[in-house]
Amino acid sequence: MENVWVLASVWVGLALIATLVAIWFRISTALSEIVVGTVAQLVIGALFVHAELGGKTSWISFLAGTGAIVLTFLAGAELDPQIFRTKWKEATVIGLVGFFGPFFGCTAIAHYILHWAVRPSWLAGVALSTTSVAVVYAVMLELGFNVTDFGKAVLAACFINDLGTVIALGLIFSPFTAKTLIFVVVSVVVFAILPFLTPRFFKKYGGRVSELEAKYLLFLLFAMGGLAVWSGSEAVLPAYIIGMTLAGSVGKDHILIRRLRTLTFGLLTPFYFIRAGSFVSVPALIAAPLAFVVLFFAKMLSKVIPLFPTVKAFDYQKEEGLYFTLMMSTGLTFGTISALFGLNHGVITQAQYSYLVATVIGSAVVPTMIANAWFMPRHLLGTKTEEKSTLSQAMSKNAD
Amino acid sequence: MTGKRQNPHFRKLLVGYDGSPQSEKAVDMAFSLAQCLDASILIFAVARPPEPATSVELEAVLDDAREHYEEGFKKIMEKARGHDVNVQTAMAVGHPAEQVIHRAEVDGIDLIILGRRGRSMISRMMLGSVSERVLRYAHCPVMVVH
Repeated sequence: MENVWVLASVWVGLALIATLVAIWFRISTALSEIVVGTVAQLVIGALFVHAELGGKTSWISFLAGTGAIVLTFLAGAELDPQIFRTKWKEATVIGLVGFFGPFFGCTAIAHYILHWAVRPSWLAGVALSTTSVAVVYAVMLELGFNVTDFGKAVLAACFINDLGTVIALGLIFSPFTAKTLIFVVVSVVVFAILPFLTPRFFKKYGGRVSELEAKYLLFLLFAMGGLAVWSGSEAVLPAYIIGMTLAGSVGKDHILIRRLRTLTFGLLTPFYFIRAGSFVSVPALIAAPLAFVVLFFAKMLSKVIPLFPTVKAFDYQKEEGLYFTLMMSTGLTFGTISALFGLNHGVITQAQYSYLVATVIGSAVVPTMIANAWFMPRHLLGTKTEEKSTLSQAMSKNAD
Repeated sequence: MTGKRQNPHFRKLLVGYDGSPQSEKAVDMAFSLAQCLDASILIFAVARPPEPATSVELEAVLDDAREHYEEGFKKIMEKARGHDVNVQTAMAVGHPAEQVIHRAEVDGIDLIILGRRGRSMISRMMLGSVSERVLRYAHCPVMVVH
């Protein structure tokens, strides 16, 4: 499709449909956009042989890439530095175990059971090592754990877990050269300066209609992303760390974050998620559904088995430990970012990409579907045990 | 004494509020009942995160919900002044039915009042009806206002 505006209207129209689907079924917009992208490509491919949605068009790639970078930055900016300072020991240990368990576990299963080559297996390990800060945070809000020491530690651990994922994604698939060294040194200097420079710069020149803050942040993200790609790494790596380093300043500027969200959700991320969905091959999934099942259980088990005893080692109750271990087994955004990186860089095939995205979606959706299908208020489940669950107690605290 | 009837059964009422016309009807019904029974009212709203929750979107949804409900709560409190009724407001995050049931238990609520949304068949199949779930699991009587 050569007409830019027609193609743009098709993509934004799909984004609109995805948003309506998300509203009707109360599912996340990201999930809806991935599914709409997959279905749209399937339908277009069936109606017009060899026709494509245009996901490889340069301007769509740019918008989608920017969406991934800004989304990653905003995700990093949600970190609460105060929590991390007080709970860094538990957070680091739980976060690293949460990362390394599935990273090595899924890599091994992809390689030895699915017989994937070494590099695709490592990519599977990276894509399935992620956790969803948002899912954990949402459940904590429901149960009131967001105000407890346990909840704060687990939340900070999720950030460490995802940091492990983006570092692995950024460094494993690029050869270590002088360029890598330059990227690392420049990054360290920039990350050290930013928390001091940014608030002062915004204080002096910010708060105007010219949106200086947005331009400054986009410049930083593009410049560091460009340096990362030049060195053979991935642009989301510096974006996440910039988000974390600015969490205490930019992250607390509610108005700025809201403006960035509008830009991200209104224009950028629909292109990213629809594009990610359009590359999923439904025929490949149907041809070998077992690969999805193997990867799904690999992710769940390799998260739960090492994490559960680790969480218990910090003296947390059995029930809450198991609960949050399960919650940490989800992860949509970084999972798709990692899989798309692998596809774009020729690390994995389209079929392998499809299995990974399906697994990422499955790990995010299946627990929710089960919970909704056999609905029972969670606090009533707790009262069935003789020992009054600490979950119920935490919920009571939340209700106050 | 205000001259109102003292009632040992319905002293605390909880109204599920989501800003819809149906929930506004439930609020009006609660005001009428509270005036008759000399009861207090808890207006309770629940912000429901999208499933599965995703980074950034979750915070955006919670921010929007807080603003939306604060505005609604303000109007209700203004209305309450004219009705001489003791009204409190609260907001929680999670599944609406679960949070309503739990809050009712914790606060020792005597009657839950909900508006019926009348969702489509598909929507009810996917999401379930909040009022049906509250009717099924609540520890106290539930009134559904049509």
